[in-house]
Amino acid sequence: MKQRSLRTAVLKLQLQSLVIKLIINTNFQSNTNIKLPLAFILYALLAFVAAQFLLLFHSNLLIDSQFRLPTIWMGAHFLLLGFAAMIAMGAMYQLVPVAFLTPIWSQKLGAIQFSFTLVGITSLSLLLGIKPDIAVYGGILTIIGMVLFIFQMALTIGKQKKKNIITYFVLAAITCFFLTILAGFLLAWNIAYGGISSHNTILTSHITLGVAGWFTLLIFGFSYKLVPMFSLAHGFSMKWAKLAFFSYLVGLLVVIVSFGMQDTTLRTGGWLLLFCGFTFFVLDMKDILSKRLKKRLDKPFMFSLLAIVNGLIIHFIAFMLSLFAVNHLTIWSWLIFLYVMSWIIFSILGYLYKIVPFLWWTFKYADKIGKEQVPNLKDMFNEKWSVLLFILFIVGITGLTAGALVQISMLVFFFQALLAITSLAYASSIVRILFH
Amino acid sequence: MESLVKQSLYDVVDPELGINIVDLGLVYDVRADASNNVVIIMTLTTPGCPMHDNITNGVKHRVSQVEGVGEVEVNVVWDPAWNPGNMSDRAKELL
Repeated sequence: MKQRSLRTAVLKLQLQSLVIKLIINTNFQSNTNIKLPLAFILYALLAFVAAQFLLLFHSNLLIDSQFRLPTIWMGAHFLLLGFAAMIAMGAMYQLVPVAFLTPIWSQKLGAIQFSFTLVGITSLSLLLGIKPDIAVYGGILTIIGMVLFIFQMALTIGKQKKKNIITYFVLAAITCFFLTILAGFLLAWNIAYGGISSHNTILTSHITLGVAGWFTLLIFGFSYKLVPMFSLAHGFSMKWAKLAFFSYLVGLLVVIVSFGMQDTTLRTGGWLLLFCGFTFFVLDMKDILSKRLKKRLDKPFMFSLLAIVNGLIIHFIAFMLSLFAVNHLTIWSWLIFLYVMSWIIFSILGYLYKIVPFLWWTFKYADKIGKEQVPNLKDMFNEKWSVLLFILFIVGITGLTAGALVQISMLVFFFQALLAITSLAYASSIVRILFH
Repeated sequence: MESLVKQSLYDVVDPELGINIVDLGLVYDVRADASNNVVIIMTLTTPGCPMHDNITNGVKHRVSQVEGVGEVEVNVVWDPAWNPGNMSDRAKELL
């Protein structure tokens, strides 16, 4: 009896070891989890189109440059949280393991975080437009989702063995993200219950930390990894990276303090530091591109590079406006719009043609490479079509801004309609990759 | 066997660049023992390349298809790091 059970145990062990060997030997599948990044990206595309159509249906508000109205809040939050932040989070689930060589701390937490964020951002954006006095409840869900994301990323990046400048850019971006959420919650609280007198200071800090802190620092950080990778650059130095990091971070701090102190001289100094930080980053990108081996760059990637030029110009304009004490609300509002659209959103739109084909290729062809003919990433979308879309985006943004500044309502409506249709065509071109 | 294996690696193409890994200069060495178990020593253009798993799995797949090959092992090394000088003229032209 004893002998029989011993033999069974040995047999079981042998079987287990065989199964393990089989798993090891046949485990050709990539470790990239595509579900989570794709879920974020698909939701983000919906939010992008929704934001553009919302702005189209209320384009009269754009003509009056009335940005501080519930409908515009709704559109802005669908655009910045629903689209840009969701893309950033989804992309980080793919890029952080790649850039930092460390696996995501918990995929399960990622799924929970995604659910909270999805419901939170949708309800927050809708409530901001429909019933702002209870938007704080959507805000609470959004905060839970985003705090879970920050927790996830802190634990993931914390495991990285050797920290580098990219790590610090991303950590600083995440910190700004947290502060943006905190400021946003205070604003929603104040709308619901009142009692906070420094509403304007918190609002300007919320915008600065969100668009300049979180998004810009994040794009800076990942550009140091992605630009050399996509251009196949070799032998570059990144000698300006530390200066870019500190100038931009101190610049952010100075600008935010200047809001609190209402000190315009300090604010001009802050804008100068931000412009310098951006310039140092551009110098590194220029060096990387000058040492590239890939002479013919992919068109969507070139669009993301164009966004860097836009970002630099906008930083310069912001500094000059501040220097010459141009405080016209309309001009600053449109400058923020251009900052968001032509720097942050353009960067994302270009990089999505890199991220989504990679994710889908990994899902569909990773276990076929070496066995049969598989497509290249570039074959998974129509590059000529993407160029047309990018041109339409540029025309749309330029026309919309010009139309609003010269106050011609027909132009604003026409160019916002162009942007809305182009956004829809863009979203469908990205979704079409998934049918390859 | 080693030359057969190396020849087969021309079929493994980096899907980002559209160039095979031998012309890219990613393959450092191919070794086969008496039982035709093969070890491929290779690198990638950058550590943390998102295509890391895909390319190494592609190498395993392709080499496993070569007749007579036993076990296949792929060792990705970072020292020496990839250098553009490793690329063939054809790869340089394609870029």
